[in-house]
Amino acid sequence: MRRMTYQEALVGAIREEMRRDSRVFLLGEDIGIFGGPMMSAKGLWEEFGATGRIIDTPISESAIVGAGVGAAMMGMRPVVEIMFGEFLALVMQQLACDASCMWYYSAGKTRVPMVLRTKFGVGPHRGHELDYHSWLIHVPGLKVVMPSTPYDAMGLMKSAIRDDNPVVFLEHMNLYHWIRQEIPEDEYTIPLGVADIKREGRDVTVVAMAMMVHHSLDAAEDLSKEGVEVEVVDLRTVAPMDKTTVLASLKKTGRLVVVHEAWKFGGSGGEVAAMVAEEAFGDLKAPIVRVAPPQIPIPFSTPLNKMYLPDKQKIKSAIRKVLAK
Amino acid sequence: MALTNEELLSAYRYMVMGRMVEEAITKIKGNYHPAIGEEAVIVGTFYNLRKDDVIVPHYRGALIAYIMRGASLRRLFAGILGKETSYTRGRYRGDIWGPLELNIIGMYAGALGPTLSLATGAALAAKLTKTDSVAVVSFGDGTSNRGDFHEAINLASVLKLPIVYVCQNNQFAVSTPACKALGCHSVADRAIGYGIPGVNVDGNDVAAVHEAVKEAANMARKGSGPTLIQALTYRVGGHMVADPAVYRPAEEAEEWRKKDPIARLQKELINIGVLLEREIEGMRKNMEEEISAAVKQAEGDPLPGEQVLGLDDVFAPAN
Repeated sequence: MRRMTYQEALVGAIREEMRRDSRVFLLGEDIGIFGGPMMSAKGLWEEFGATGRIIDTPISESAIVGAGVGAAMMGMRPVVEIMFGEFLALVMQQLACDASCMWYYSAGKTRVPMVLRTKFGVGPHRGHELDYHSWLIHVPGLKVVMPSTPYDAMGLMKSAIRDDNPVVFLEHMNLYHWIRQEIPEDEYTIPLGVADIKREGRDVTVVAMAMMVHHSLDAAEDLSKEGVEVEVVDLRTVAPMDKTTVLASLKKTGRLVVVHEAWKFGGSGGEVAAMVAEEAFGDLKAPIVRVAPPQIPIPFSTPLNKMYLPDKQKIKSAIRKVLAK
Repeated sequence: MALTNEELLSAYRYMVMGRMVEEAITKIKGNYHPAIGEEAVIVGTFYNLRKDDVIVPHYRGALIAYIMRGASLRRLFAGILGKETSYTRGRYRGDIWGPLELNIIGMYAGALGPTLSLATGAALAAKLTKTDSVAVVSFGDGTSNRGDFHEAINLASVLKLPIVYVCQNNQFAVSTPACKALGCHSVADRAIGYGIPGVNVDGNDVAAVHEAVKEAANMARKGSGPTLIQALTYRVGGHMVADPAVYRPAEEAEEWRKKDPIARLQKELINIGVLLEREIEGMRKNMEEEISAAVKQAEGDPLPGEQVLGLDDVFAPAN
């Protein structure tokens, strides 16, 4: 076993995949000698720099992603890095309008085995924090991964690199250098599209991803002292969504809270809620509650930011609300 | 068109003030991006513009340009600290943003490049309303590799817009040296592709920068269209305060430190007798007092409360 942070697990997964498959290469800004922003590629230059498979680029996001897609079409397996998730706006054409539909429109001839990794999330860095995952899941043909732990980050990154479709891998900045976790020495992968029950409980189901899984677990821990047993479902992959795990949990608890860092209006939580309403309305004992930021741009000042973001307290009151019915 | 001695002295004051303000911020904000050593580009570019000209400074050095526009020091510091007295009431980060009422366009998101398009739009508005104001936008060598740069300048060229594009080439985009990120030698070389004048200038010489921008602005005012200027300087520090910049030879930065634009201008001013050596200490002391008073006020200012969150304040009401 080795103890790794989220960042180390991500880099570890890429390193192992680069050793395993010479078609895997990295393309992005400041990922060479610099080691990537927040050490996102730390140590890879030292091992692979001489092979030409770590490519530092100018600040040209649309060209980086477009070139990644083109290379993937030709059989390479690029891991392109866009520094921060808010820059996804600069690459949506190449990612969400071109790459996403290639397999379908080519009638199953064109594969795009590309990973687009990027950092996001309100955290210590206090900049570039936007969570745009809800934009992405609207688009058919894109897989969207949002891990919450080092263990999941490692297993999911490996699967993402081996996947034959464009995968957007959203790495939460607050998790980057935070927790350490035991990671097996032996290789493992975690399939995309499979959620994970991070805590079992019989009373309420909380569905969350990335940083919000941790706030949900904290809320669950507090409430268990009051005799309330919360089940925390970590989606891990938001698209495709693991309906089976969510529905099975709901069947058990009958109550649902959905939490995310993206805006509530038009957010993926609405998709979870709608899916449950359509497919398991009869299992619901109370109306669904979503915990997500209000429909305003992310405010900067610390007290405003705190009011904006979901946290343990807000999740606890949402759980109490669904229990009250 | 050269600066008079009095103007040179006032440009010097802005440069010194700008550096001292940035040094003060550096102490309170580890992710601040200082413009130490690049002050000649910033002050030279935005010096003596008209109040109705629109300025769109690069994020590195933006606060110096805002000060030149008459922004309040206290409110700028409050912006760094997220206080309610800041220009955004604490809603947005104050290090890259200035108020439109001073004809400043700030950055509204973290991606580089959109400010070039926004500045181009400001120039379009000036043309449409038949005023003779201009827009002046600065940006880094790194930004010049984004699509926005190419699209905005070409658009300004075909529409003959009154705008000056100034590349504050400090030779680094985070860790990436400009020589590895630009296919051309100078950003100004690209002007030929847009059919506009391209000008190279010593970015550590405030008078030279100003002269180039002034000439370009005058041409723009007369309807001759845009100019692309490269002011070559050097980022003597890291990308941000917390970056030790270990990815480049320390000697290179040392060499450029010797070319410090403030020391260079100071020496020149002393030589021509505009500035007396004995005046410097007093001048700096006055500035220091002004800065620490502003910091103190900003620190004492209140943080925004719930009423500033503005859950119903996303759309502008009918005017």
